[in-house]
Formats: sequence, structure tokens, C-alpha cells
Amino acid sequence: MRVRTRPRRALTATVGVLAALTLLAACGGGGGATGSGGGDGVLTVGMPNGPQADNSNPFLGTSAGASLGYRAMIYEPLAMTNLVRPDQEPKPWLATSWEWNEDFTEVVLTVNTEPTWSDGEAFGAEDVAFTFSLLRDNPALNEAGVPYQDVTQDGDTVTLTFETSQYVNQTRILDTYIVPEHIWADIEAPETFENQDPVGTGPYVLDTFTPQTVTLKRRDTYWQDLPQVEELRYTSYNDNNAQTTALANGDTEWSYVFMPDYEQVFIERDPDHHKLWFPTGLGIHGLWINNEVAPFDDPALRRAMSLVIDRAAISEQAHAGLYPLLENPTGLPLPAGASFLAPEYQGETQEVDVAAAKDILDEAGYTLDGDTLRTPEGDPVSLTLTDPAGWSDYLTGLSIISDNLKEIGIEATVETQTVDAWTDDVNNGDFDATLHWTNTGATPYDMYQNIMDGELYKPVGESSPGGNFGRYRNDEATAALADYRNASDEEARTEALYTLQRILVEDVPMIPTVAGPIGAEYSTKNWIGWPTDVDPYATPQPTQRGALDVVLHLRPAEG
Amino acid sequence: MRYFAQRLLFYAVTAWAAITINFFIPRLMPGDPVQSLINRYQGQLSTQAIDSLRTLFGLDEQQSLWQQYLDYWGNLFDGDLGTSFTYFPTGVADIIGQSMPWTLTLMGITTVLGFLLGTGVGILAGWRRGSWLDAMLPVTTFFSAIPYFWLGLIAITVFAVQWPLFPASGGYDTGLVPELSWPFISSAIEHGLLPGITIIISSVAGWILGMRNMMVSVSAEDYVLVAQAKGLSERRVMFSYAARNAILPSISNFALSLGFIVGGTLLVEMVFSYPGIGYVLFQGVGAKDYPLMQGVFLFVTLAVLAANLLADVVYLLLDPRTRREAS
Repeated sequence: MRVRTRPRRALTATVGVLAALTLLAACGGGGGATGSGGGDGVLTVGMPNGPQADNSNPFLGTSAGASLGYRAMIYEPLAMTNLVRPDQEPKPWLATSWEWNEDFTEVVLTVNTEPTWSDGEAFGAEDVAFTFSLLRDNPALNEAGVPYQDVTQDGDTVTLTFETSQYVNQTRILDTYIVPEHIWADIEAPETFENQDPVGTGPYVLDTFTPQTVTLKRRDTYWQDLPQVEELRYTSYNDNNAQTTALANGDTEWSYVFMPDYEQVFIERDPDHHKLWFPTGLGIHGLWINNEVAPFDDPALRRAMSLVIDRAAISEQAHAGLYPLLENPTGLPLPAGASFLAPEYQGETQEVDVAAAKDILDEAGYTLDGDTLRTPEGDPVSLTLTDPAGWSDYLTGLSIISDNLKEIGIEATVETQTVDAWTDDVNNGDFDATLHWTNTGATPYDMYQNIMDGELYKPVGESSPGGNFGRYRNDEATAALADYRNASDEEARTEALYTLQRILVEDVPMIPTVAGPIGAEYSTKNWIGWPTDVDPYATPQPTQRGALDVVLHLRPAEG
Repeated sequence: MRYFAQRLLFYAVTAWAAITINFFIPRLMPGDPVQSLINRYQGQLSTQAIDSLRTLFGLDEQQSLWQQYLDYWGNLFDGDLGTSFTYFPTGVADIIGQSMPWTLTLMGITTVLGFLLGTGVGILAGWRRGSWLDAMLPVTTFFSAIPYFWLGLIAITVFAVQWPLFPASGGYDTGLVPELSWPFISSAIEHGLLPGITIIISSVAGWILGMRNMMVSVSAEDYVLVAQAKGLSERRVMFSYAARNAILPSISNFALSLGFIVGGTLLVEMVFSYPGIGYVLFQGVGAKDYPLMQGVFLFVTLAVLAANLLADVVYLLLDPRTRREAS
């Protein structure tokens, strides 16, 4: 599971403006960076997640280790995957190699025997086999939902078998944190194990835990070169505002927090050192349309709507420029999705084109009656756009969309709900259109499956929390998704993925708006070597698995 | 004594009702902890996790509401407040235990200080009405009229960012571990000063105003006049005759504000990123964490009841009339 706590939007709305004002006032007085963080071999990391409970169970997303991200420094995965460059082969880590059979129902992992556990015990293939049996036998821990079947160990290799092809789960399996058998074998209920004294193969061990701050100390030995950061200090702030202040004054050197107007409140406080990088992964946000509500069951109408939506305005104004623009009509975020792109859409960009939208509508028999678009049957076209009150970025997006749709005569009113009512309505298909996110994965499969898998289809009124909120039914799409999942040859898979892209472009079951970023703010004052656009060697976020790779790359700044 | 027994029975019934309502309200709230978690992670937590999370939280087992209610009481008597969803699998009692001391210390001290300061100034201002002390009223009222949220942010901007006299957030230095040592205690005091001062500034006006006005009306009473005519010292008349009677309404307000310490700290803890119970409750509500919400509400309820009981006792001691009615 990838952990990135969502910036609390309700707070963003109320606190954000105040935070901006607070810091603006501070800038006006010429106050420079005043913080004390960092230096002396310490790297300070912050997250806006509130007080933590002492829990370092690496499998639980609710643990402090996941919420702050420090589990990535203690436990290590079989391979290091890079979410922002999904086409790269994962780097061997606790496994030196992995070999899938042709139909992806069996993988042979060769385990690296060099690492040792931080309590001095030897690490080996038994631990890997034990970890996978643990996940198989405790569905509550198996958050990725990978259907493990047999786990066998032979010398330094571990073989995992599955009933169905696991092509789409490959990175989820390689991402698994390995835990020591000699400790975990005695745990009766691993899903409620708080693991307050974590033992891992990573270069750091837990030093002190408080609800506010967790410190990690470097080990004396590590199977790779020891990192130069001697101490990691993770602080949990109560909200985005406090976290932003800490970043601005240098108390926090590495974080992920959504900040409106980041130039003013963060970069300008120390333009030489304060940096921010928000690259794309393979998850997107978009306008989900209820395909079962007439006249929006008409692909021509949806295509026309997609043509008039100003994605640049949504990215810039609604998401403060932090959520990258989606230019490609397939909805694939670039450059992360570049290698998956069908040849016909390569280099294509989608821009607002009201004339083309009008042509499509004309052809499909729609008429413009004054300012109102009428269906071929003569009914006026109107819809309600909904999102939870307080989610200011989505609501700004909706008001931009509402203005855009007016240009082709569609009356779109924006309404807000409580989060719970909205979640219920989205799951039950009780909405016209709403901004919502998609799943994220190592391939575009997760995103497309979330949008249009017919196997997730439920009639309106029945809950489908797993996806396909738009009630999209297209046998071709469902078949293509199954093909992608099960195909044993690369060619069939590629073909299936191209089909999915074509369906999204032509049928528009959902209108992609922006890419979901995997971002981070950091300071180069004390530490350099961070991943950047030019050198995207790892996922930059401190709560992702790639965080360890980032720390291993850091060097003290000169002077 | 019968009066006292009656009061105790009344409190027992109230506690039962409050705890029962406390059980039902979170269950009547719309929403589901698993969906809240998925919403919180917005696309980073895949929908594949839904099943495993339901199993993890034990939500896959169906139980009748009545059975849940019985279990709830059973666990309560065992001192078991359940397991939090937000901080799964940490127990609710542990979470409350780690955050409650912060809230109690900060809010307890500031509430008492605010009350003592405000009442003291109020007594003097009411006794010497028309003096310069009356000028305190508009000034303090002005500060208390500023929403606390805003006052706190201004305080941070001015005293933590502009002139960094105080730390901007947290309960103690990030490098320290809570323990009984001078570096930790001094750091905790340093971090508590700015929120503490702002709380006192924003709450003191209420105490001054209430006390001053009661003093003014009590001063005109005959028994104060008699006391003065007897030639008692000004101090004695002011404190033992006027203030003793004037303070009664303030006592009940004070008791109530003690009870609400636990529930009323959210803004302080938000603004100053303070590690207390208010923020924990806020998180629990956002995450539909029933056990956590119930645990905190239970504490609030019991605190309010205990404070009321205390006020009753103080009233009995201060005001002979309540004693006479009781006998």
C-alpha cells in the first residue's frame, strides 16, 4: 500500500488562507529563515498527521510508521520500485532477482543473503517465505489483496504461486516489506501487533518514540554503503498550517503537504534552498459522469463536454499548480505513462475546442436554443456537479467546469454535500457528475480498471465502493481489462492497453482533469542529492518506499 | 445528608443516560470508517484494500445493536474503551492516556489562572467602580471578542515568526522525550506559554465582567451597608461580605468551564499544534472512529458531571441558604 495522507481539505479551506496571510505578514517584516532544524548529521522530516500512537507494524497503514513514513527506513522491500518512472525495472534490494513464469502464476525470488537484522540475527530466504505465508494466512494484513497460494523455500530461493495471472500485481509483490521470522513467528495476532521495538534489515533503528516526534538512529552495519544521515527526526504536526510554517522556517527539511500559493509561503522564504517537486504517478483525478443518467449516456455528449473543459485552469487555479496538467487525451499522466501510450495518441495534446464540441453535438442531433442545449428529443441539457463542502480544490475545479460547460449551452450547477453523504451517493451512483480520484498503480491498469471495469458494475442504488462509480458498461472495455490482467504475452497486453485508451478517448466514461502527484517539499540547506525532474531516481515523498533510496542518496551540503 | 444522597442519585442517573447516548450517537452518524480511510488517502490507498480493512477493523462481523450495547457496558466496567480505528490497533485508553495530560495541564492551569485573575480584577473593579480599573473592561473585552483562532494565529505570527520569542508549534522540542527531567519540563513550559497566555487573554474578560457586575449589585445590599456602618475594615467588607456573595454565579460558571476543559481545547490544539485530546477527538470524528469518539466523550461527560458535583459542594459551603433548603 502506498501511504500518502491526503491533505485535509476541510482544513485547507479554512486554514490555508490564514496560513498564507500569517506567513505573508511575516515576510513583510523581512524575517528570514529562523528555524533550527537539521545540521549535525540530522535530517528533519515532517508530516501534518497529528499525534501518533506507538505502533511500528509495517503492514498497517494506520501505524505511525506508515503515517510518518519511517517504516521505510527500518524495513526493506524485495525490490525498490520508482512510482514516478514506472517503466524502469525495479532495483534489486532484498531479492537479487525474480523470475516469473510465462502466465504470471509463479514467481521465483532469489534472496540476497548479505543483509542482517538489526538485532544481529541472520537474514535469509526463510524470512521472505515466512512473510508471504503471513500475508496469505492473515487477509487483514494483505492490503494489496494479492491472492497468494503456495509459498515454498529452497535454499536461497522462494517460490510463490497464484491461481491467476499476477501481471498487474508484480510491483505490489516486490514492494512487500520483509519481517523477521524469529520475532514474528511468535506473534499470535499479527494484525494487532504494535511492534514497538521494530527489527528490520534497513540502515536505521527506532531510537525514541513520542506521539509528536520519532527519532531513528543509524545502525553500525548495513549491507550497502551506510547512509550519511546519522539521525532521522520525524515530527508530526497537527495540520497543514503548522506543517507549512515548519517548512518555511526550516524546522522541517522534508515533507509532503498541500500548500496553496507555495511560491509565497515556502519557496520565497529561502529561494536558494527551498525546493518543491511534484511529479506524476499513474493515478489521476477527473470528472466522473453518471453514465446511466440520460442524456449523459450518450458518448457524443460526453465527448463534447470533455472538449470544452479547461484542464490548464483546473490544474493552475484549483490545484495551485501542484497537480500536474493532463494534456494527453488518453488521461495518461506524462512522463510517467509515456511508455504505455498507444502510437495513435503519441504527441497528441488536448486543448479546449468549443467549435469542435459544437460540431460533435450538431452531428449527434443536439440543437442550441438560445443559450440552452437541447437533446434530439428537445429536452434542455442540465446537470448538477457535486463534491463535499470544504474540499476547496475540487469545488474550484467544479466552478471552472460549470463555466466551461455553459459555452456549449449546458446548465451545470455546483452543489456541496457532507463528505459522508457524498461518499454514499458516489458509491450508490446517486449523482450526475463529481470530481473524484482513481486508483494508482504500477501500470495504467489500476486507473482504467477503476474507471470502466464492467465486473465492478452495480445498478444505481447498489453500492460499488470498489470503483466504476459512473456505472459504465462496455463489454469491450471489460474484456480488454481481463486480457491485460491474464494475457501471457506482451503483445496481447499492449493491444489491450491500447484498446482501453481508445475507449477512454472515444467513449469518455470519465473526463480526466489532472494527474495525482507524488510530491514533496525539501530543503537543500543541510542536505543535497534530492531527486529532481532532471534526475528522477526515486519517488520523492517521505512516506513512500522510495524514501529510503532518497536518504541513501543524500550528502551534507558544503559549508 | 439526604440532600446529598439525592444529588448523588441524580448524578448516577445522568451518567447512565449520558453513557447510553454516547453509545448510540456515533452509531447513528452516517459514514463508515473504511470509506473514511479510503477518502483520506485519495487514490493512494487502492480500493483493493477495502476487504482487508473491513476484516482488520472487525467490521465484517454482524452483531445486533443490543449485543453491542451490552458488550460496551461490559468493556466499560473492565476499563476497556476498545481499539481505535485511526490508530489501529492501539487501544483508545492508551491514546487518551497519552494526550490527556497535555490538555489537562495546559487548560487546567490557564482556566484556573484566568478565573483567579479575572475574578480578582472583577472584585476590585466592582468595589471601586469608576476608577481606572474600569478601563480594563473594554480592553479585555476587545481581546475576547477576537475569535480565538485568529488571536492564536496573530500571536504565532508576531511572537513566533516575526520575533521568535516562543516556539510556533508542538508541546516540546522535537528532540526530547517526555520524562521528568529539567530539559523536558522547561521545554514543555516554553511551548505552553504562548498558547497559555492567549487562552487567558481571550477568557479573562468574561470573568471580570461577571464578577464586576455582581459586585456592583451586591455592594448596594443592606448587609454591606451594615458591615460598613459597623466600622469593619474595607478589606473585610469587600471580601467577606460583598465578594463572598457576588462570587456565587462565577463559581457555577467556573465548575462548568472546568468540565468543558476537555472538550473545548480543539482550537488551541489546532492553532498551536499542541498534542492534546481536542485534536485526537477531531481526528476521531473525521475518521468515523466510534471507539475513540466514545472514549473521549465519556471523559468529557464524566468531567462535566464531576465538576457539577464539585460546584454543588462548594455552593453548600458558601451559601447557607442551600443548606437550609436541604435539611
